Amino acid sequence: MTRRAVRAWVWLHRWSSLICTLFALLLCLTGLPLIFKDELGPDLQLAATTAPPGRASVDSMVARALAARPGEVVPYLFYDRDHPILKVPTAASMTADPATFHYQVFDTRTGQQIAIPQPNEGFLYVMTRLHLDLFGGVPGTLFLGCMGLLLVLAIVSGVVLYGPFTRRLAFGVIRTDGSRWRSWLDLHNLLGIVTLAWFGVVSFTGVINTLAAPIELAWQANQLVEMAAQAKPAEIEGQRASTDAVLRDVRAAVPGMNVMTVAFPGTPFATPSHIAIFLTGNTPITSRILKPALADASTGQVVSVRDMPWYATALFMSQPLHFGDYGGLPLKIIWALFDVATIVVLLSGLYLWWAKRPRRGDAESAGSAAS
Amino acid sequence: MSAFRRQWLWPVALAASTVFGLLTALIGEGGLWWLLCWVALATPLVTIALCVVRRRPSSGL
Repeated sequence: MTRRAVRAWVWLHRWSSLICTLFALLLCLTGLPLIFKDELGPDLQLAATTAPPGRASVDSMVARALAARPGEVVPYLFYDRDHPILKVPTAASMTADPATFHYQVFDTRTGQQIAIPQPNEGFLYVMTRLHLDLFGGVPGTLFLGCMGLLLVLAIVSGVVLYGPFTRRLAFGVIRTDGSRWRSWLDLHNLLGIVTLAWFGVVSFTGVINTLAAPIELAWQANQLVEMAAQAKPAEIEGQRASTDAVLRDVRAAVPGMNVMTVAFPGTPFATPSHIAIFLTGNTPITSRILKPALADASTGQVVSVRDMPWYATALFMSQPLHFGDYGGLPLKIIWALFDVATIVVLLSGLYLWWAKRPRRGDAESAGSAAS
Repeated sequence: MSAFRRQWLWPVALAASTVFGLLTALIGEGGLWWLLCWVALATPLVTIALCVVRRRPSSGL
Protein backbone atom coordinates (compact mmCIF):
# COMPACT_ATOMS: atom_id res chain seq x y z
CA MET A 1 0.00 0.00 0.00
CA THR A 2 1.37 3.41 -0.91
CA ARG A 3 2.08 6.04 1.75
CA ARG A 4 -0.68 8.16 0.31
CA ALA A 5 -3.22 5.34 0.54
CA VAL A 6 -2.23 4.59 4.16
CA ARG A 7 -2.71 8.26 5.05
CA ALA A 8 -6.13 8.28 3.43
CA TRP A 9 -7.19 5.16 5.38
CA VAL A 10 -5.79 6.63 8.60
CA TRP A 11 -7.86 9.75 7.99
CA LEU A 12 -10.99 7.64 7.35
CA HIS A 13 -10.35 5.47 10.42
CA ARG A 14 -9.71 8.48 12.65
CA TRP A 15 -12.79 10.45 11.67
CA SER A 16 -15.28 7.63 11.26
CA SER A 17 -14.41 6.41 14.76
CA LEU A 18 -14.10 9.82 16.41
CA ILE A 19 -17.59 10.84 15.32
CA CYS A 20 -19.23 7.67 16.59
CA THR A 21 -16.99 6.79 19.58
CA LEU A 22 -19.14 8.48 22.21
CA PHE A 23 -22.28 6.74 20.95
CA ALA A 24 -20.45 3.44 20.42
CA LEU A 25 -19.27 3.60 24.04
CA LEU A 26 -22.81 4.33 25.19
CA LEU A 27 -24.10 1.38 23.15
CA CYS A 28 -21.43 -0.96 24.54
CA LEU A 29 -22.06 0.15 28.14
CA THR A 30 -25.87 0.04 27.98
CA GLY A 31 -25.71 -3.20 25.98
CA LEU A 32 -23.79 -4.94 28.76
CA PRO A 33 -26.72 -5.26 31.23
CA LEU A 34 -29.13 -5.90 28.32
CA ILE A 35 -27.25 -9.13 27.49
CA PHE A 36 -28.49 -10.43 30.84
CA LYS A 37 -31.96 -8.92 30.72
CA ASP A 38 -33.63 -12.29 31.31
CA GLU A 39 -31.46 -12.96 34.35
CA LEU A 40 -31.83 -9.39 35.68
CA GLY A 41 -35.56 -9.18 34.91
CA PRO A 42 -38.36 -9.89 37.37
CA ASP A 43 -38.79 -13.35 38.85
CA LEU A 44 -42.06 -14.71 37.42
CA GLN A 45 -42.58 -17.12 40.35
CA LEU A 46 -44.60 -19.45 38.17
CA ALA A 47 -46.78 -21.89 40.09
CA ALA A 48 -46.06 -25.60 39.78
CA THR A 49 -48.81 -27.23 37.73
CA THR A 50 -49.24 -30.11 35.33
CA ALA A 51 -51.60 -28.13 33.11
CA PRO A 52 -50.18 -27.64 29.59
CA PRO A 53 -49.36 -24.12 28.34
CA GLY A 54 -52.19 -22.40 26.49
CA ARG A 55 -54.94 -24.27 28.33
CA ALA A 56 -56.54 -21.30 30.11
CA SER A 57 -59.03 -19.08 28.26
CA VAL A 58 -57.46 -16.01 26.63
CA ASP A 59 -60.85 -14.28 26.37
CA SER A 60 -61.15 -14.51 30.15
CA MET A 61 -57.66 -13.00 30.63
CA VAL A 62 -58.52 -10.13 28.28
CA ALA A 63 -61.82 -9.53 30.09
CA ARG A 64 -60.07 -9.42 33.47
CA ALA A 65 -57.35 -7.10 32.11
CA LEU A 66 -60.03 -4.74 30.80
CA ALA A 67 -62.03 -4.90 34.02
CA ALA A 68 -58.96 -3.78 35.94
CA ARG A 69 -58.42 -0.84 33.58
CA PRO A 70 -61.85 0.69 32.82
CA GLY A 71 -62.06 2.80 29.65
CA GLU A 72 -58.97 1.21 28.07
CA VAL A 73 -58.63 -1.22 25.15
CA VAL A 74 -56.42 -4.26 24.53
CA PRO A 75 -54.46 -3.65 21.29
CA TYR A 76 -52.16 -6.69 21.38
CA LEU A 77 -51.39 -9.97 23.12
CA PHE A 78 -47.76 -10.99 23.60
CA TYR A 79 -46.68 -14.55 24.32
CA ASP A 80 -43.21 -15.33 25.67
CA ARG A 81 -40.71 -17.56 23.85
CA ASP A 82 -39.38 -19.12 27.04
CA HIS A 83 -42.18 -19.00 29.62
CA PRO A 84 -45.88 -20.02 29.62
CA ILE A 85 -47.13 -16.49 30.11
CA LEU A 86 -49.31 -14.04 28.20
CA LYS A 87 -48.68 -10.30 28.44
CA VAL A 88 -51.88 -8.33 27.98
CA PRO A 89 -51.29 -4.61 27.42
CA THR A 90 -54.07 -2.08 27.83
CA ALA A 91 -53.96 1.43 26.37
CA ALA A 92 -56.09 4.51 25.76
CA SER A 93 -56.56 3.57 22.09
CA MET A 94 -55.65 0.89 19.54
CA THR A 95 -52.98 3.15 18.05
CA ALA A 96 -51.49 4.36 21.36
CA ASP A 97 -47.70 4.60 21.74
CA PRO A 98 -46.42 1.26 23.14
CA ALA A 99 -44.43 3.25 25.73
CA THR A 100 -47.79 4.13 27.35
CA PHE A 101 -49.05 0.52 27.56
CA HIS A 102 -50.00 -0.90 30.94
CA TYR A 103 -49.18 -4.61 31.12
CA GLN A 104 -50.94 -7.39 32.98
CA VAL A 105 -49.38 -10.83 32.88
CA PHE A 106 -51.20 -14.18 33.06
CA ASP A 107 -50.11 -17.81 33.36
CA THR A 108 -51.35 -19.51 30.16
CA ARG A 109 -51.69 -22.85 31.97
CA THR A 110 -53.87 -21.80 34.89
CA GLY A 111 -55.12 -18.38 33.77
CA GLN A 112 -53.90 -16.88 37.04
CA GLN A 113 -52.64 -13.34 37.01
CA ILE A 114 -48.95 -12.88 37.87
CA ALA A 115 -47.82 -9.75 39.70
CA ILE A 116 -44.67 -8.34 38.06
CA PRO A 117 -43.41 -4.77 37.71
CA GLN A 118 -44.29 -2.89 34.50
CA PRO A 119 -41.69 -3.63 31.79
CA ASN A 120 -41.60 0.05 30.79
CA GLU A 121 -39.97 1.36 33.94
CA GLY A 122 -36.84 0.70 36.00
CA PHE A 123 -33.11 0.27 35.29
CA LEU A 124 -33.40 -2.20 32.40
CA TYR A 125 -36.00 -0.05 30.68
CA VAL A 126 -33.73 3.03 30.86
CA MET A 127 -30.83 0.95 29.50
CA THR A 128 -33.05 -0.39 26.71
CA ARG A 129 -34.23 3.06 25.63
CA LEU A 130 -30.70 4.52 25.75
CA HIS A 131 -29.50 1.59 23.63
CA LEU A 132 -32.48 1.59 21.27
CA ASP A 133 -33.36 5.22 20.57
CA LEU A 134 -31.85 7.59 23.20
CA PHE A 135 -35.49 8.22 24.25
CA GLY A 136 -35.96 9.80 20.81
CA GLY A 137 -38.34 7.35 19.13
CA VAL A 138 -37.82 6.35 15.50
CA PRO A 139 -35.55 9.35 14.69
CA GLY A 140 -33.37 8.40 17.68
CA THR A 141 -33.14 4.82 16.43
CA LEU A 142 -32.25 5.90 12.91
CA PHE A 143 -29.61 8.28 14.29
CA LEU A 144 -28.02 5.41 16.22
CA GLY A 145 -28.20 3.40 12.98
CA CYS A 146 -26.09 6.09 11.27
CA MET A 147 -23.60 5.94 14.14
CA GLY A 148 -23.55 2.15 13.68
CA LEU A 149 -22.77 2.58 9.99
CA LEU A 150 -19.83 4.84 10.90
CA LEU A 151 -18.70 2.17 13.33
CA VAL A 152 -18.79 -0.45 10.55
CA LEU A 153 -16.70 1.96 8.44
CA ALA A 154 -14.25 2.36 11.33
CA ILE A 155 -13.97 -1.43 11.67
CA VAL A 156 -13.34 -1.91 7.93
CA SER A 157 -10.73 0.87 7.79
CA GLY A 158 -9.16 -0.53 10.97
CA VAL A 159 -8.70 -3.93 9.30
CA VAL A 160 -7.13 -2.28 6.24
CA LEU A 161 -4.68 -0.43 8.51
CA TYR A 162 -3.85 -3.53 10.52
CA GLY A 163 -1.72 -4.70 7.55
CA PRO A 164 0.74 -1.78 7.26
CA PHE A 165 0.80 -1.13 11.04
CA THR A 166 1.75 -4.65 12.15
CA ARG A 167 3.82 -5.77 9.14
CA ARG A 168 7.06 -6.15 11.09
CA LEU A 169 5.50 -7.67 14.20
CA ALA A 170 4.67 -11.24 15.13
CA PHE A 171 0.98 -11.77 15.83
CA GLY A 172 -0.28 -10.56 19.19
CA VAL A 173 2.95 -8.95 20.38
CA ILE A 174 2.45 -6.06 22.78
CA ARG A 175 5.72 -4.13 22.87
CA THR A 176 6.44 -2.80 26.33
CA ASP A 177 9.99 -1.57 25.83
CA GLY A 178 9.11 1.69 24.14
CA SER A 179 6.62 4.44 24.72
CA ARG A 180 3.32 3.97 26.50
CA TRP A 181 1.62 5.10 23.29
CA ARG A 182 3.19 2.23 21.34
CA SER A 183 2.05 -0.31 23.93
CA TRP A 184 -1.50 0.96 23.70
CA LEU A 185 -1.29 0.89 19.90
CA ASP A 186 -0.28 -2.78 20.04
CA LEU A 187 -3.12 -3.57 22.45
CA HIS A 188 -5.59 -1.65 20.27
CA ASN A 189 -4.43 -3.58 17.20
CA LEU A 190 -4.56 -6.93 18.97
CA LEU A 191 -8.02 -6.46 20.51
CA GLY A 192 -9.33 -4.87 17.34
CA ILE A 193 -8.23 -7.63 14.99
CA VAL A 194 -9.23 -10.49 17.33
CA THR A 195 -12.72 -9.15 18.07
CA LEU A 196 -13.13 -8.06 14.44
CA ALA A 197 -15.66 -10.72 13.37
CA TRP A 198 -17.78 -10.43 16.51
CA PHE A 199 -17.72 -6.63 16.56
CA GLY A 200 -18.45 -6.51 12.84
CA VAL A 201 -21.41 -8.88 13.10
CA VAL A 202 -22.88 -7.17 16.19
CA SER A 203 -22.46 -3.69 14.67
CA PHE A 204 -23.91 -4.67 11.32
CA THR A 205 -26.89 -6.56 12.80
CA GLY A 206 -27.42 -3.59 15.12
CA VAL A 207 -27.67 -1.32 12.09
CA ILE A 208 -30.21 -3.69 10.52
CA ASN A 209 -32.21 -3.63 13.77
CA THR A 210 -32.46 0.14 13.59
CA LEU A 211 -34.38 -0.31 10.34
CA ALA A 212 -37.24 -2.08 12.17
CA ALA A 213 -39.65 0.84 11.84
CA PRO A 214 -39.21 1.32 8.06
CA ILE A 215 -39.38 -2.45 7.60
CA GLU A 216 -42.65 -2.60 9.57
CA LEU A 217 -44.06 0.25 7.48
CA ALA A 218 -43.09 -1.50 4.25
CA TRP A 219 -44.74 -4.73 5.44
CA GLN A 220 -47.92 -2.91 6.48
CA ALA A 221 -48.14 -0.99 3.21
CA ASN A 222 -47.53 -4.00 0.95
CA GLN A 223 -48.00 -7.43 2.47
CA LEU A 224 -50.69 -6.67 5.04
CA VAL A 225 -52.83 -4.91 2.44
CA GLU A 226 -52.40 -7.84 0.02
CA MET A 227 -53.27 -10.38 2.69
CA ALA A 228 -56.38 -8.47 3.73
CA ALA A 229 -57.47 -8.25 0.08
CA GLN A 230 -57.54 -12.05 -0.23
CA ALA A 231 -61.04 -12.24 1.26
CA LYS A 232 -63.80 -9.71 1.68
CA PRO A 233 -64.36 -9.06 5.39
CA ALA A 234 -67.72 -10.33 6.73
CA GLU A 235 -68.15 -7.18 8.87
CA ILE A 236 -71.21 -8.42 10.71
CA GLU A 237 -72.36 -5.53 12.90
CA GLY A 238 -71.65 -6.09 16.57
CA GLN A 239 -70.21 -9.59 16.12
CA ARG A 240 -66.66 -10.19 17.34
CA ALA A 241 -65.04 -13.60 17.04
CA SER A 242 -63.78 -15.12 20.29
CA THR A 243 -60.00 -14.88 20.59
CA ASP A 244 -59.85 -18.45 21.89
CA ALA A 245 -61.67 -19.69 18.77
CA VAL A 246 -59.40 -17.68 16.46
CA LEU A 247 -56.28 -19.04 18.19
CA ARG A 248 -57.62 -22.61 17.89
CA ASP A 249 -58.33 -22.15 14.16
CA VAL A 250 -54.96 -20.56 13.47
CA ARG A 251 -53.10 -23.33 15.31
CA ALA A 252 -55.01 -25.88 13.24
CA ALA A 253 -54.28 -24.00 10.00
CA VAL A 254 -50.55 -23.64 10.77
CA PRO A 255 -49.59 -26.81 12.63
CA GLY A 256 -46.28 -27.05 14.46
CA MET A 257 -45.97 -23.33 15.08
CA ASN A 258 -46.46 -21.21 18.20
CA VAL A 259 -48.50 -18.03 18.45
CA MET A 260 -46.19 -15.20 19.58
CA THR A 261 -48.24 -12.05 19.06
CA VAL A 262 -51.88 -11.19 18.37
CA ALA A 263 -52.75 -7.76 16.93
CA PHE A 264 -56.41 -6.78 17.30
CA PRO A 265 -58.43 -4.89 14.66
CA GLY A 266 -57.57 -1.20 14.52
CA THR A 267 -53.89 -1.58 15.44
CA PRO A 268 -51.17 -0.79 12.86
CA PHE A 269 -50.34 -4.51 12.59
CA ALA A 270 -53.88 -5.63 11.72
CA THR A 271 -56.69 -4.07 9.65
CA PRO A 272 -59.95 -2.53 10.91
CA SER A 273 -61.74 -5.81 10.15
CA HIS A 274 -59.06 -8.46 10.70
CA ILE A 275 -57.12 -9.90 13.60
CA ALA A 276 -53.46 -10.55 12.81
CA ILE A 277 -51.71 -13.49 14.45
CA PHE A 278 -47.91 -13.84 14.29
CA LEU A 279 -46.46 -17.33 14.67
CA THR A 280 -42.96 -18.74 15.07
CA GLY A 281 -41.40 -22.19 14.66
CA ASN A 282 -39.53 -24.36 17.14
CA THR A 283 -35.93 -24.42 15.91
CA PRO A 284 -33.38 -21.75 16.92
CA ILE A 285 -33.76 -20.03 13.55
CA THR A 286 -37.50 -20.47 12.91
CA SER A 287 -38.32 -19.41 16.48
CA ARG A 288 -37.07 -15.94 15.44
CA ILE A 289 -38.95 -15.62 12.16
CA LEU A 290 -42.54 -14.44 12.48
CA LYS A 291 -45.16 -15.83 10.12
CA PRO A 292 -48.31 -13.70 9.91
CA ALA A 293 -51.86 -15.04 9.62
CA LEU A 294 -54.96 -12.93 9.18
CA ALA A 295 -58.40 -13.88 10.53
CA ASP A 296 -61.74 -12.21 9.96
CA ALA A 297 -62.65 -10.18 13.03
CA SER A 298 -66.35 -11.08 12.86
CA THR A 299 -66.31 -14.76 11.96
CA GLY A 300 -62.82 -15.70 13.20
CA GLN A 301 -62.16 -17.51 9.92
CA VAL A 302 -58.48 -17.68 8.91
CA VAL A 303 -58.22 -15.65 5.72
CA SER A 304 -54.54 -15.72 4.82
CA VAL A 305 -51.23 -17.18 5.99
CA ARG A 306 -47.98 -16.28 4.29
CA ASP A 307 -44.26 -15.97 4.98
CA MET A 308 -42.70 -12.62 5.72
CA PRO A 309 -40.82 -10.93 2.85
CA TRP A 310 -37.01 -11.21 2.66
CA TYR A 311 -36.38 -7.80 4.26
CA ALA A 312 -38.38 -8.73 7.34
CA THR A 313 -36.63 -12.12 7.54
CA ALA A 314 -33.27 -10.29 7.44
CA LEU A 315 -34.43 -8.20 10.39
CA PHE A 316 -35.55 -11.27 12.37
CA MET A 317 -32.29 -13.13 11.65
CA SER A 318 -30.20 -10.16 12.73
CA GLN A 319 -31.82 -10.06 16.17
CA PRO A 320 -30.26 -13.15 17.81
CA LEU A 321 -26.89 -12.29 16.25
CA HIS A 322 -27.12 -8.88 17.90
CA PHE A 323 -28.51 -10.00 21.28
CA GLY A 324 -26.46 -13.20 21.79
CA ASP A 325 -29.44 -14.86 23.46
CA TYR A 326 -29.46 -18.15 21.57
CA GLY A 327 -26.78 -20.24 23.26
CA GLY A 328 -27.52 -20.32 26.97
CA LEU A 329 -25.81 -18.43 29.77
CA PRO A 330 -22.22 -19.29 28.64
CA LEU A 331 -22.88 -17.53 25.30
CA LYS A 332 -24.18 -14.49 27.18
CA ILE A 333 -20.99 -14.40 29.27
CA ILE A 334 -18.90 -14.70 26.08
CA TRP A 335 -20.97 -11.85 24.61
CA ALA A 336 -20.25 -9.71 27.68
CA LEU A 337 -16.49 -10.43 27.49
CA PHE A 338 -16.41 -9.46 23.80
CA ASP A 339 -18.33 -6.33 24.74
CA VAL A 340 -15.75 -5.42 27.39
CA ALA A 341 -12.94 -6.04 24.85
CA THR A 342 -14.60 -3.67 22.39
CA ILE A 343 -14.93 -1.04 25.12
CA VAL A 344 -11.15 -1.30 25.55
CA VAL A 345 -10.71 -0.97 21.76
CA LEU A 346 -12.83 2.21 21.76
CA LEU A 347 -11.12 3.75 24.80
CA SER A 348 -7.62 2.87 23.61
CA GLY A 349 -8.44 4.31 20.18
CA LEU A 350 -9.56 7.52 21.86
CA TYR A 351 -6.34 7.63 23.91
CA LEU A 352 -4.17 6.99 20.81
CA TRP A 353 -5.80 9.94 19.06
CA TRP A 354 -5.73 12.20 22.15
CA ALA A 355 -2.05 11.59 22.90
CA LYS A 356 -0.94 12.22 19.30
CA ARG A 357 -3.37 14.93 18.26
CA PRO A 358 -1.75 18.08 16.82
CA ARG A 359 -1.72 20.79 19.50
CA ARG A 360 -1.49 24.50 18.93
CA GLY A 361 0.52 24.78 22.14
CA ASP A 362 3.25 22.52 20.72
CA ALA A 363 4.15 24.97 17.96
CA GLU A 364 4.14 27.88 20.39
CA SER A 365 6.33 26.15 22.96
CA ALA A 366 8.72 25.02 20.20
CA GLY A 367 8.91 28.62 19.06
CA SER A 368 9.62 29.95 22.55
CA ALA A 369 12.27 27.28 23.16
CA ALA A 370 14.08 28.36 19.98
CA SER A 371 14.16 32.02 20.93
CA MET B 1 5.54 -18.95 4.71
CA SER B 2 5.24 -15.56 3.06
CA ALA B 3 5.17 -12.43 5.22
CA PHE B 4 1.59 -11.73 4.16
CA ARG B 5 0.48 -15.22 5.12
CA ARG B 6 2.30 -15.08 8.46
CA GLN B 7 0.67 -11.76 9.27
CA TRP B 8 -2.88 -12.77 8.39
CA LEU B 9 -2.98 -16.44 9.39
CA TRP B 10 -4.07 -15.80 13.00
CA PRO B 11 -6.55 -12.99 12.30
CA VAL B 12 -8.26 -15.03 9.58
CA ALA B 13 -8.30 -18.20 11.69
CA LEU B 14 -9.81 -16.36 14.68
CA ALA B 15 -12.40 -14.61 12.52
CA ALA B 16 -13.35 -17.97 11.01
CA SER B 17 -13.63 -19.47 14.50
CA THR B 18 -15.87 -16.58 15.57
CA VAL B 19 -18.18 -16.88 12.57
CA PHE B 20 -18.34 -20.66 13.00
CA GLY B 21 -19.29 -20.19 16.67
CA LEU B 22 -21.91 -17.54 15.90
CA LEU B 23 -23.62 -19.74 13.32
CA THR B 24 -23.28 -23.07 15.11
CA ALA B 25 -25.72 -22.33 17.93
CA LEU B 26 -28.08 -20.60 15.51
CA ILE B 27 -28.27 -23.49 13.05
CA GLY B 28 -27.74 -26.46 15.36
CA GLU B 29 -30.11 -27.27 18.21
CA GLY B 30 -28.70 -27.26 21.74
CA GLY B 31 -26.38 -29.91 23.22
CA LEU B 32 -23.17 -30.50 21.30
CA TRP B 33 -23.82 -27.51 19.02
CA TRP B 34 -23.90 -25.16 21.98
CA LEU B 35 -20.64 -26.62 23.27
CA LEU B 36 -19.00 -26.16 19.85
CA CYS B 37 -20.31 -22.58 19.77
CA TRP B 38 -18.89 -21.77 23.21
CA VAL B 39 -15.47 -23.26 22.40
CA ALA B 40 -15.26 -21.55 18.99
CA LEU B 41 -16.23 -18.18 20.43
CA ALA B 42 -14.03 -18.50 23.51
CA THR B 43 -10.95 -19.13 21.31
CA PRO B 44 -10.43 -15.45 20.35
CA LEU B 45 -11.00 -14.38 23.97
CA VAL B 46 -8.43 -16.88 25.25
CA THR B 47 -6.02 -15.66 22.54
CA ILE B 48 -6.36 -12.10 23.83
CA ALA B 49 -5.76 -13.23 27.42
CA LEU B 50 -2.63 -15.21 26.41
CA CYS B 51 -1.17 -12.32 24.40
CA VAL B 52 -1.78 -9.84 27.24
CA VAL B 53 -0.25 -12.17 29.83
CA ARG B 54 2.79 -12.84 27.62
CA ARG B 55 3.69 -9.19 27.05
CA ARG B 56 7.08 -8.17 28.39
CA PRO B 57 6.49 -7.05 31.96
CA SER B 58 8.86 -4.11 32.07
CA SER B 59 6.33 -1.38 31.33
CA GLY B 60 3.45 0.21 33.10
CA LEU B 61 0.76 -0.99 30.65
